[in-house]
Amino acid sequence: MYPNPHHSSSAARNGRRIFCFFSVLLWLAFSNIPALAHKVTIFAWVEGDTVYTQSKFSGGRKARNSTVVVYDKEGKLLLEGKTDKNGLFSFKIPKKTELKVALKASMGHLAEWTIPAEEIMGAADNSEAGVVPSTQQAAPSTETKTSSELPATTAVSLSLQDVQDLIDRSLDRKLSPIVNMLADSLDRGPGMSEVMGGIGYIFGLVGVALYFATRGKRK
Amino acid sequence: MHISEGVLSPSVLVAGAALTTAGVAVGLKRLDHEEIPSAGILSAAFFVASLVHVPAGPASVHLVMNGLLGLILGWKAFPAILVGLGLQALLFQFGGLTTLGVNTLNMALPAVICYYLFGWGAKAGTRQHVLTITAFACGSCAVLFSGVMVGFSLYLTGEAFLPAAKLVVAAHLPVMFIEGGLTAACAFFLRRVRPELLEGQYVPKSASQF
Repeated sequence: MYPNPHHSSSAARNGRRIFCFFSVLLWLAFSNIPALAHKVTIFAWVEGDTVYTQSKFSGGRKARNSTVVVYDKEGKLLLEGKTDKNGLFSFKIPKKTELKVALKASMGHLAEWTIPAEEIMGAADNSEAGVVPSTQQAAPSTETKTSSELPATTAVSLSLQDVQDLIDRSLDRKLSPIVNMLADSLDRGPGMSEVMGGIGYIFGLVGVALYFATRGKRK
Repeated sequence: MHISEGVLSPSVLVAGAALTTAGVAVGLKRLDHEEIPSAGILSAAFFVASLVHVPAGPASVHLVMNGLLGLILGWKAFPAILVGLGLQALLFQFGGLTTLGVNTLNMALPAVICYYLFGWGAKAGTRQHVLTITAFACGSCAVLFSGVMVGFSLYLTGEAFLPAAKLVVAAHLPVMFIEGGLTAACAFFLRRVRPELLEGQYVPKSASQF
């Protein structure tokens, strides 16, 4: 009748308005995408005999003054410390096993990073290797007085150790940008696909719920 | 607002899950088939709102929008928030699946409380400024209560209550204002274009059906 078309046109207009409203909300959400998200990440890597950790809130904000706790494989607490103002915290390797580094940021945020045993072992071997030359250095100095052949061989082994150390040091230096890049790429916020997927899920659920809610009626 | 996995003790997790289950049951019982779409849309809005990021102090906080859900959905905010949080946990890694119960409780219970405290402002026939003020209060108080509840959950697990709650509430102060404003704007907008969506909650069931 008469009021019906009028009603439906106003409903359509309202529908359009609601659509606009929610598209603005969505746009607001997406316009913030580079600086979004809400969780913490911690990234740890080994350089020499020291473990470095970097802690962040997603979106790149550094987790300042947050507690970092280090556990061994069995979950025994090894050490604890606070991040500095750049979200960094470093410690000497306390034990040569797999290490779990946990970041306890404020407000119930928690993140974990596991350093596999091989990484620690490799570093530990180097640090042991670093100790060996010093004894060898002491040894040649005493032996140089007694024999003349030995210094030559120890000198070779010494230079091998030096080469090893040099390679390690320069590798650490060269790899540090890559390590930093990895740390940065870890906390990519959720992208368009996750957001759209989630909204799709919700609409799907609405469909399923409506199907079951109206099934009785259609019979 | 989202508590990560491995922070809370198992007893807190179980208690949170149990209370959430009860809340969701109440919500689903009250969910009319006509209201399913609006609950879904608000669930989607809640899901996306967590991406709107507000830089605040040492931490990063985001919008919650539980006040708006409470105002429009009442008890039905429980299932809507459960769905939103579940998807946030799965897709964004906010919070986690084991803490889903506690997180839902922390966000949905304040929504229901604010529904009872301020919902009367959204009834048909209230003045425009009454609606605006109650909606603002609803949006901001829901965030405030959520902050207190997060502090309380941490306290039950052994953290000192006052520092934890203070920190959460302080970090969410700017969010409270933004959410209050957004909720008021939404209420104002809905009253203009879709009053039945806003007021449907406050009309007796028998009257709303026919």
